[in-house]
Amino acid sequence: MAKEETFDVVIIGAGHNGTTTAAYLAKSGLSVLVLEERPEGGGAQETCEPIAGVRIQPHAIGNYGGSAPGWEQLQLWRYGFRMDYNPREPVQFDIERGPMARHGIVKVSQEDMMGWAKIVGLTTDPPFYRDLLRATFWTPPHPSYVELDENTIPYMQVYRDHLPELWTKEMLEWTMFDIMEQYIKSEPFMIHQAYIANVSGAFAHFPGVGVPAIECVATVMPPAVADPVAARGNMHGYYHAIFRCAVGNGAIIKTCCPVEEIIIEHGRAVGVRLRDDATWGPKRVNARKAVISACHIKPTFQKLIGPKNIDSGLMQKINDLSLKGGSLHMTHFLTKEDLRYKPQFKWRKEEPHEFTGAFYCMENKEIYWKNLECVLGRQENLDIPPEECMWGMVAHTNYAPTQPQSTRPGAYVNGPLWIMVPTPEYNVDGLDAMDKTAADKKKWEEYARATLSCIVENLDDDNLIQIWSDTPREQEFRNTGMLGGSWYGTRCDRDEWWNQRPLPEMARYRVPDIDGLYLAHQSAAHPGGLCLMAVAYNLMHILIEDGVVEPGPWWYASPWYVPEEGKISAVPGQGRV
Amino acid sequence: MMEFKGQKHPQSFFEEFPADSEWDVVIIGAGPNGLIAAAYLAKAGLKVALVERRYEIGGGLATEEILYPGYYSSMHAIYHMMVDYMPVLRDFDLGKHGLVWIKPNLQCSMVFENGDSILLTRMIEDTTDSISKYSFKDAQTFSKTMGRWRKIVNDIIAPMTYIPPMLPIEITMALQKEETGRELLELVEQSPLDVVTNLFENDRVRSLLLYNICTWGLDPRETGVGLFVALYLDRMMNKSYCQGGSHKMANSLGREIVRAGGVILDSSDVIDIHMKGGKVAGVELWEGRTLHTKCVISTLDPRTTFLDLVGAENLPSDLKDSIEGWHYDKWSFNTLHTVSEEMPRYLPKDPWASESFMTIFGFEGMDAMLEHWDNVVAGKLDQKCLGGHATCESFWDTHLVRVPPEKAHRQVSFFQHHAPYNLEKGGWDKRGPEIENMILKKWAKYAPNMKKENIVQTNQETPKDIEIRFPNMRYGSIKHGDYRPVQLGCFRPNQDCSSTKTPVEGLYVGGASVYPGGCVLGGGGYQVANKVIEDLGGKKWWKPTREMERCIKTYLGG
Repeated sequence: MAKEETFDVVIIGAGHNGTTTAAYLAKSGLSVLVLEERPEGGGAQETCEPIAGVRIQPHAIGNYGGSAPGWEQLQLWRYGFRMDYNPREPVQFDIERGPMARHGIVKVSQEDMMGWAKIVGLTTDPPFYRDLLRATFWTPPHPSYVELDENTIPYMQVYRDHLPELWTKEMLEWTMFDIMEQYIKSEPFMIHQAYIANVSGAFAHFPGVGVPAIECVATVMPPAVADPVAARGNMHGYYHAIFRCAVGNGAIIKTCCPVEEIIIEHGRAVGVRLRDDATWGPKRVNARKAVISACHIKPTFQKLIGPKNIDSGLMQKINDLSLKGGSLHMTHFLTKEDLRYKPQFKWRKEEPHEFTGAFYCMENKEIYWKNLECVLGRQENLDIPPEECMWGMVAHTNYAPTQPQSTRPGAYVNGPLWIMVPTPEYNVDGLDAMDKTAADKKKWEEYARATLSCIVENLDDDNLIQIWSDTPREQEFRNTGMLGGSWYGTRCDRDEWWNQRPLPEMARYRVPDIDGLYLAHQSAAHPGGLCLMAVAYNLMHILIEDGVVEPGPWWYASPWYVPEEGKISAVPGQGRV
Repeated sequence: MMEFKGQKHPQSFFEEFPADSEWDVVIIGAGPNGLIAAAYLAKAGLKVALVERRYEIGGGLATEEILYPGYYSSMHAIYHMMVDYMPVLRDFDLGKHGLVWIKPNLQCSMVFENGDSILLTRMIEDTTDSISKYSFKDAQTFSKTMGRWRKIVNDIIAPMTYIPPMLPIEITMALQKEETGRELLELVEQSPLDVVTNLFENDRVRSLLLYNICTWGLDPRETGVGLFVALYLDRMMNKSYCQGGSHKMANSLGREIVRAGGVILDSSDVIDIHMKGGKVAGVELWEGRTLHTKCVISTLDPRTTFLDLVGAENLPSDLKDSIEGWHYDKWSFNTLHTVSEEMPRYLPKDPWASESFMTIFGFEGMDAMLEHWDNVVAGKLDQKCLGGHATCESFWDTHLVRVPPEKAHRQVSFFQHHAPYNLEKGGWDKRGPEIENMILKKWAKYAPNMKKENIVQTNQETPKDIEIRFPNMRYGSIKHGDYRPVQLGCFRPNQDCSSTKTPVEGLYVGGASVYPGGCVLGGGGYQVANKVIEDLGGKKWWKPTREMERCIKTYLGG
């Protein structure tokens, strides 16, 4: 019989959200154990060196989280956090570097830039972009009895208070396109912003989530974060700071320790049992105060909680949660000479015209729909000609010169190039249609190469050394939090966002009828993914309400937070409300 | 390196690690020794910063997705030989971070073309049984000799790894006091080849033992290193595997550093050790930040530490000469990593041979092995006598394969052989694919299922690649410098520095180029922590291990 262990809180999953939650709770003085299935923590915040001297980012690339309270509250700088500054790149959004259409660069007009700036809260004095971001992402959903309207939804409150001319009731129903069309004229620019929203969590054509979609873009652009958006050590370096904050405050994080079961006794989560292959052994670990699942919501319910502990009605709703829309095919290219733009895609006026990545085929709604119809509608393997495929790509020149992505002599690495593809679980061509055989993999690598070759002139066989790619399905199994290869867990549509995420009865991170169990995965919690340190911050409000944790004087609650009646308010000093 | 000084961002949006900071100790290099030194010193209450060039700590303790996507390998250190003695594993409870060791009985098999095999096991008598198939006399010799050697290793050589180095004459005098010690002294003057051929008669037995003794770079014909024969053979019978990959050891140590208040800065290239009035004043990072300190521990190779970072102009001339005369490893490794549908199945008559932790193949006898090593020193590789060792990592560790279920049966293995950094006739860039084919051909000869259809993916890490990934393993020197008598013991890296304290005030060294050497012994890091705490003051909270205390008392005169 294995020896039992007991902690205040047991967290399942050492990805971004699980580890950030551990940091918050350990800093509050609780004994915390985090159990991770993979050999290394970090989840989507990964860096790899697949061959000596060449580093690639298979998942998260940009730092979206610049406005997080976590920077102050967790003091990540103490654990070595640094951003990287790149003197080659402009800090402000450069209107010369406009979106790329098939024929070349499309310049963005000053008026359109100002239009965008207005929407995201940069034109007032002082600007209110940070309030807007915090209200959107860093505020827990309201208690279920609060009526949601233009006066209670946090980002609507911010617009009402700072930019009343923009604030209308209809905004709640609008798509991101609807909002942009009020202030922006250039279609390519709108498509460009829409595309960034699409690959960041919320689709620009979804009604009811227009503002969150806009904020997904605003949070990764200046001034919310510096441009470029790389942390030193890349996204895994950002993870290291969170991880070390958790460990430095006493959290124990064990890798290669998959969980078999959340132990539920008398309607309360009291611990977990590890799987047979856990290096710690298949032992039982007790949780005095809470079990927090920071792994995907589907396995959390289907396997860890299990059908014996929930009714079939709830299980059906869990099964129905949509994984659609967040699946990306990722490609990195290793070449002998650096990539070169074709002349019409050189965006700098003067030499050198270094390759600095691209957003391609940001042209018009027709192409937008052509891509989306294939990915979301027909859900079959892409049949779009490479020249009409929409994609984005990062280049090695986006990183600081002191953080080279390749230190391999005579080798340049550029990527990832990401392409929206159907989610494997919904792909009518089959779950493994993209990666069943080596030839399938090769086919999509060649597709990525062909579409990149629309703007690059030297991706020929002589120049190309190697391609690394990963399909959504490969992402899912190397990183089990990415079920369906979905980057933001579940779709961020009006039925799965804010007070509906993942389901109305769980929007405040609690699980109905199971006490002491909380949800902290991007698929199970507002606001979802993007490594924002937001799920943990929002969850803290709820854990304070339930008396699980009493953070120190460093804690502050979201100004838009509404405490639940009868619970302890997360606003310091407010007591029970 | 590109000339660039980090710049402050015009609109920092939250607090970041400062441009200037003050430290009691700054440690350069987060390999095993840097991690160990940092863990001891941080726990002693010193303000410690550990800086690492790579994005991940660990140095050779690396487990990475080098068979991308989805397959992980501990592509550098994998056979941990000193787990039984390393003080750091006694002094810290690394098990609480999930560190688990596996030490299989079936440590090593050597297989031959006709299906013969011979085993080296943790338990002496299992090896004896295996040897007895070839020579009853050798079996008896092994059984008797190994028992005595194990005592020598346990009582003297292993604990001395963590005790400051002594002059050869001091060691001789100390060892003469006891019978075990005297026996060890008889070995010292012999070469590994002498020891093996004097004791054993059968060629296969000799081959198995000599390969194990010389794997980490002992020259088979070098006299004066006989002491290592006993050590390596005993330790190669006691290799441990770190579950989840070797990086878990690094990560556990990293957690102890952070828990004790130490700071780890990764992705931080050190470009200069600042000097002020002849003393160490700080460390400058490429990104533009400076860590001010009066005490720097470098775990890098001698040239990087003394010539590139401190600068020749700041060195006493004899130290400069000694550093310039440093010999890097005479051979490196070339490793072919593979993903295969089935694990390698060797065809020896003994079915256990496929399931050993390490499998040696390619050599039909000791002559071929010696020829291969001679070739390597001469910059050559020859299909005829190419041999080395292989391990199927995923056989020991299912956590290394993270792919969709229909591919989850696949196995991660590697074959590793001694190899020259300077490969003749075009070098590695040109001949890499040819060498890969040579290896695969050889592998299929000994493990018939390792043919093309079985192999899904490969990645060859050549000596050049080792240097690219770990730049201070110059010329692919995994130990930062050759094991030759003048670079061993109190001469490693030289007499001025082998105590870890250098003639440059405030500068200490603690890496693989310092006594007792490389291969994750954890000796340099432990010794430098002892020295620094002695010099700087601070709470020395740890004591020598039981084995060290007994060795000092019995053999070294207290």
